[in-house]
Amino acid sequence: MTPVLELNNLVKTFGASRALDGLSLSLPDNSYISLLGPSGSGKTTLLRVIAGFERCEAGSIRFGGRSMQDVAPHRRGIGFVFQNFALFPHLSVRDNVAFGLTNRELAPVTNAGEIADRVQAMIALVGLTGLEDRAVTQISGGQKQRVALARTLVTEPKMVLLDEPLGALDANLRARMRNELREIRERCGVAFLHVTGSETEALAMGDVVLVLDRGRIAQTGNSDSIYNRPASSDVARFLNCYNLFSGRIDGESFVAPAGRLPLGGLRQTAATPAYAIRHDRIAIRPTGTGLGGDEAAIEAQFLAEEYTGSAVYSFFTTEDGTLLEVETHLSKDARPVLEPQGRYALVWNKEHALVYA
Amino acid sequence: MHNPVLTEDVTVTEPVAKPSRMAFWLVLPGVVWMLLFLVLPILMMVYVSFWTQTTFTIKPVLTLQSWITFFSSDTYLGALWTTVRIWLLVLVATVVVGYPAALFVGLFVKNKTLQTVLLVLCVIPFWTSFLIRVLAWRPMLGKEGAINMILMKLGIVTHPIEVLLFSELSVIIGMTQIYCVFMVGPIAFMLGRIEPAIIEAAQDLGAGFWRIFRTIILPMSMPGVVVGAIFVSVMVLGEFATSAALSGRKVNLLGNIIVTQVGSLKWAFAAVAGVVLTLLMGLVVAALLRVVDLRKEL
Amino acid sequence: MNSGAVKFGLGVYTALFLVFLYGPLVVLAILSFQTGPEGGPQFPIIEWSLYWYKHLFGLTPPSRIAPLPIDDALVRSMALAVMTMIVSTVLGVVSAQAFRSHFKGSGLVFYLIVLGMMVPGVLVGLGMALVANTLGIDRHWWGTAFVLHVVYTFPFAFLVMLAIFNRFDPSVEEAAWSLGVSPIRTFRKITFPLIFPGVLSAMLFAFTLSYDEFSRTLFASGRDLTLPLAIYGTFSVEVHPNVFAFGVLTTLFSFALLGTYAVLMGLSVRRARRIAVQEDA
Repeated sequence: MTPVLELNNLVKTFGASRALDGLSLSLPDNSYISLLGPSGSGKTTLLRVIAGFERCEAGSIRFGGRSMQDVAPHRRGIGFVFQNFALFPHLSVRDNVAFGLTNRELAPVTNAGEIADRVQAMIALVGLTGLEDRAVTQISGGQKQRVALARTLVTEPKMVLLDEPLGALDANLRARMRNELREIRERCGVAFLHVTGSETEALAMGDVVLVLDRGRIAQTGNSDSIYNRPASSDVARFLNCYNLFSGRIDGESFVAPAGRLPLGGLRQTAATPAYAIRHDRIAIRPTGTGLGGDEAAIEAQFLAEEYTGSAVYSFFTTEDGTLLEVETHLSKDARPVLEPQGRYALVWNKEHALVYA
Repeated sequence: MHNPVLTEDVTVTEPVAKPSRMAFWLVLPGVVWMLLFLVLPILMMVYVSFWTQTTFTIKPVLTLQSWITFFSSDTYLGALWTTVRIWLLVLVATVVVGYPAALFVGLFVKNKTLQTVLLVLCVIPFWTSFLIRVLAWRPMLGKEGAINMILMKLGIVTHPIEVLLFSELSVIIGMTQIYCVFMVGPIAFMLGRIEPAIIEAAQDLGAGFWRIFRTIILPMSMPGVVVGAIFVSVMVLGEFATSAALSGRKVNLLGNIIVTQVGSLKWAFAAVAGVVLTLLMGLVVAALLRVVDLRKEL
Repeated sequence: MNSGAVKFGLGVYTALFLVFLYGPLVVLAILSFQTGPEGGPQFPIIEWSLYWYKHLFGLTPPSRIAPLPIDDALVRSMALAVMTMIVSTVLGVVSAQAFRSHFKGSGLVFYLIVLGMMVPGVLVGLGMALVANTLGIDRHWWGTAFVLHVVYTFPFAFLVMLAIFNRFDPSVEEAAWSLGVSPIRTFRKITFPLIFPGVLSAMLFAFTLSYDEFSRTLFASGRDLTLPLAIYGTFSVEVHPNVFAFGVLTTLFSFALLGTYAVLMGLSVRRARRIAVQEDA
């Protein structure tokens, strides 16, 4: 299957900083692709470059096999859903959705009947039936989101770019829209490139997940491989579920300021040496208890905890000031009873650790 | 998994200057218009100032004669001096007259709507025809005009004040009234941007009104004063109608010189006056722009 | 500020200031009701009458006072103002649109345009007359005076549109492009409707400035006079209350214009406020 989008070594600078630093990727057609990028990683710039709103200093873009060099944004056939929706304020919902069809340069639809049918069908698909004649200034955030989607999808693009589409919605709506977005995409058979700063959203939505770090793709894979085998300590950090130790390898151990940790588990090559262990892989035990053969441990002082109902997050600090977090799932284990400022041993199976060297 | 390092050189894509090219074409008509109908006439004026002027005709033979005549004649130097003098007087007058009003509207009136209403009230006279506004001073200032009538009725004077009309004073009064609005606006705008918290803090520290005015209000309003001064100066220096209507030909500004010289078809001479006026204006505006770094303040 | 005395003092001053601003106009209005044709442009009012208003429209028996030469001049001023309004607004919109992208020399172009509103009319009028003479072109209100009017009003229209575009969110345009709509069509159907209140302001500005414009027209309009020139012609001659009556009518006309503009703006602002609400959501 030919990739729907191929980017090669894109470079985009703003003044002194490089927003895109030799970025390359290849996206499969007809799939949901999510791009995880913390703020400052260049994710909005990337989308704007793909759409043609910005030009790159170097690199190439191929969309559907065609080179996008010098192709104006309105001739690319790539849809864009904006973070602030960018609906046309002086037009109704219906006119917003119909706008692309009636006004586009290439093959505008002139048959009023056809327009009405296609617009109606798309409005039904996104669940806005009944709101066709409302002014777009008089609908809720979630409804605006759907209008923005419908407006783009009705023109049948081969790919749609979504810039933090769920960012402006409240938490409940966000969860619901996640499912709806996936459903809508599947029914239309288009590729979605969904950019977000939320790691849970990225992992939940993408068939393919890309991680963007400082203008480059740091990892590509499915949710499982990203979550369980982050390719570098930076990616691990974005996932917000790993404790990270910096340091270096010395023989059979990893030497960190917090202590010596036995090596085991998955070893990956990376630029910066690091040792990672997931929050929920750690057990809290009183100090002085013996360690099993394949266990690693660190002594730390208990600081505070956060109870969310289904889990407890406990925060510890080591002698040298490293902050560690332990996640206990209450469906599996009992809630730990910890003394404030008490010293405990944080223990884990060394095979669960990720080592970067 | 890392980015595959590309072995072949990637040619740098030159950002095709499409947006800039569009901008070029968009801005071209305006630029051409200004070059043809603004820059060209001014350049022409400079050029013609060096032409030879005979009694009835003018020849493109270059000479300094008109310039020499201008600078060696009392009348014309007098006009130059009068222009500068009146400009300064009106400028000071507009600041003195306009500043307190701007202070009241910009700083003391808290209600934004009232502020807008007052400013609109100040601007409305501007919307009547300029010439009518000039003319309106005649029945005010004359021997039998309104001011004299009121003063005599109130018993303040027994004889009408004659110097009010057809004198330099009347020109200054008229110009001040017509142009002071251009002072009030920018000053009120700058004053409105002063954070009330700063003044409150100063009051809490025990500073009296005059102290606060001197150290906080005045400096922060200076950009507004400068902007207003530029507006007023440009308009006053180019004036001739007010002086013609209100001074009975006694006051001759450079603008009047130009008008009368054109009337007698002494083009080269008018051009000389014109160039002198242009230089004067350039100096004034440049000097004013140095007083306050406007870019920074605005 | 709490300095009560200062506030009171300044308040009184501002009231006097407003009297200063409006005084002459009020006096002018009062005197326009002077009886005629014997009544002159000074107090006392011999008798209140509408004589001079009637005189303006030629409805009084002929007297030694010539009627103001306003009919043709009025038409010319109107036509000139409309022409100027259209051309300078178009130039203003187009130039402001150009300034949305950064291009080389934009600083220079900016100052060139703004120069048009800074140079006094006397100078540019003189220069234009010289150019016309040298090139053998006749001076007409619709030719030489017209171009100068645009030189004067175009910068105003430009600055207004510049301010409007500054606050304009370009993402709606980008959205239209992403739907396949060409930039020109996007401008027509999306950008222009949204910047229209600004365009309206620019048009009003340009019309008013041109309608009242006088010093630029003095040298450049040739034989046929515009309205301000006709008025100026009466300056050196004796002034009669008919000019005052004319002043009152002109002022009322300006107010009517402003009123229409205020109503139109009110409607547009209400729409713009709804748009702003959308952006906050």
